Amino acid sequence: MFALTKANLKIMIRNRHTTFWALFFPLMLVTVFGIFQFGDSDSARIAIYEENPTPSSAAITKAISGLDFLEFKSIEQNELIAIDKIKNDELDYLLSIPAQFNLNKDHENPPDQLHLRVNPNNMEQNQLVQAAIQHSITTSLISEPTGLTPFSLAVENLEIPQPRYFDVVLLGLVGLGIMTNSIISIAVKISTYRNQSILKRLLVTPLPIWKYFASEVIAHLALAIVQAVIILGVGIVIFGARLSGNWAGLFIVILLGSAVFLNIGFLMSAWANTPSAASGMGNAIALPMIFLAGTFFSTASLPWILPYLVEALPLTPMLSAMRELSLENASIIEVWPQMLTLSGWIIVTGLAAIKFFRFN
Amino acid sequence: MDDAIRVEALTKQFGSFTAVDDVSFHVKSGEIFGILGPNGAGKTTTLEIIEGLQKPTLGKISVLGVDIRRNPNGFKSRIGVQLQSSAYYDYLNLEEILGLLGSCYPKCLSPAKLLKQVGLSEQSQKKVKQLSGGQSQRFTVAASLVNDPELVILDEPTTGLDPQSRRNLWELINEIQRGGVTVIMTTHYMDEAQSLCNRLAIMDRGKLIAVDTPSNMIKSLKNTYTLKIELRDPINEDQLLSLKESANSIEQITPSSYLLKLNKSPHSLDQILQTIVNTKMHLNHLEINPVTLEDVFLELTGNELRD
Repeated sequence: MFALTKANLKIMIRNRHTTFWALFFPLMLVTVFGIFQFGDSDSARIAIYEENPTPSSAAITKAISGLDFLEFKSIEQNELIAIDKIKNDELDYLLSIPAQFNLNKDHENPPDQLHLRVNPNNMEQNQLVQAAIQHSITTSLISEPTGLTPFSLAVENLEIPQPRYFDVVLLGLVGLGIMTNSIISIAVKISTYRNQSILKRLLVTPLPIWKYFASEVIAHLALAIVQAVIILGVGIVIFGARLSGNWAGLFIVILLGSAVFLNIGFLMSAWANTPSAASGMGNAIALPMIFLAGTFFSTASLPWILPYLVEALPLTPMLSAMRELSLENASIIEVWPQMLTLSGWIIVTGLAAIKFFRFN
Repeated sequence: MDDAIRVEALTKQFGSFTAVDDVSFHVKSGEIFGILGPNGAGKTTTLEIIEGLQKPTLGKISVLGVDIRRNPNGFKSRIGVQLQSSAYYDYLNLEEILGLLGSCYPKCLSPAKLLKQVGLSEQSQKKVKQLSGGQSQRFTVAASLVNDPELVILDEPTTGLDPQSRRNLWELINEIQRGGVTVIMTTHYMDEAQSLCNRLAIMDRGKLIAVDTPSNMIKSLKNTYTLKIELRDPINEDQLLSLKESANSIEQITPSSYLLKLNKSPHSLDQILQTIVNTKMHLNHLEINPVTLEDVFLELTGNELRD
């Protein structure tokens, strides 16, 4: 079996076209996303927490909610919960108005403070928002500007390990590359071998045929690891992706996901009569999944039952586990639901592949 | 053990289509046994059942003394198989392919030795698609020898080859036989079956029509020689009657040329030549051909060998 695995690896390395394109496609996308760095959150959702509603606080709320470029979300009852909302990316800003807050008119005492909590991942926008809040409160609440600041605005950058969009997409692209390569290369290879009678040739040897398939799987898993290392390497070294790293966990998830997609590839090869049909089928499976599983953008806003459907696709748990592990420093134990889903997929697709596989 | 293969009452059906219909034959150890027949006769199906690639619908088959139903893997390490139209791996060279195939068997011969045996030593680093038709066919034979088998199964080893390459391959197959290996092969070339095979089975439309040595098959024919004569003038009634004394059939090809099939009497050739001289036919051209398997096939099936 070692000899078979070695031969399979040799075949893949020499099949330069396939291997090149397997890497080139995701790498090209990495470059596109790396150069443009587009898509980073430009939302400016704000909520206000009033510790004790007063005329002043009502006036401030009115002024803020009137700002065009800020999306006013809510008046929050609990400051801690509101802060969590920023951490969960449901809000970008929280303005807290303390109970004793008063616009300072006598200039004798130091001015009262308003607190602005911000997500620190968007520095430029934060400075604009801060200035806008200060300006609108000042102009709308103080009829005669005195030249003095009647209040101060304390800005607090929350500690949020908020990943950049590029980091999120980079992991999506690793998943994409591994998925398309695993499905299509196995599907094409096996249907080619079947058409060329290579599978038959192996069947007339005393070799238990599972050993042959095991060697194919091992060789492809090894390729998946190499592929992931190259894509991540380019993303990190050239485009400065920041992945914190549970690397071991990340690669375990990559292997599990790759195994699911290899099984799907075997299944496709059973249904396809020619290598090009196998390639087409593989693409038909892979391409919709790329978009539905949230490779490039969040699927949370999909209508109807689609979000549930999306959760059921094998790429979704793979990507979500990869992102939790590499962007949120999760441990391998914390991603058990995704690992369980992937294992379920491995079993289901494996059984289906065994049931439908044919040698001629 | 005298028989390398015993096939008893083998039938294979695909749905309502009977590909192989109640076929029985034995292959003796050490012989080259040919299965001759047109495309679609059931030759390949028969071989694939013997190889264990397909299951028989009915019948009992033993290969090298092993009942293939009871022990479907018991003989695989002892047989060598060459499949029809096998392309092998595109991205491995000859030596690597043989090494890979060898790794599927408990014991195997070295790729270098095999390539030398089939005269491809110089091509060992080439890919299959860089070989000529004859070379690649010799390579598939080498691949069937990788496990040093006792029995080699070749499916149409010479199909599509030029005459020179075919003769090369015949030599190779003879050499394999001299090494003590039993060979069973299919072919749809009459001359190949006749000159290469020790014994033959003729198949047509799934049925086995005859099993014997090529020379016995030919001896069993009603005719012995085919005579083609071209005359200056068409023959008259008297001449025709005299010719019929020693010919089984007379077929007019053109107004003044005829195809005669001579009967089995020992002097038929003598007599017919006498007749031609005595009845004063003006002979422009004369061709005498001994009967071949082609005639056997024609007589047994009533058909020309379809290609």
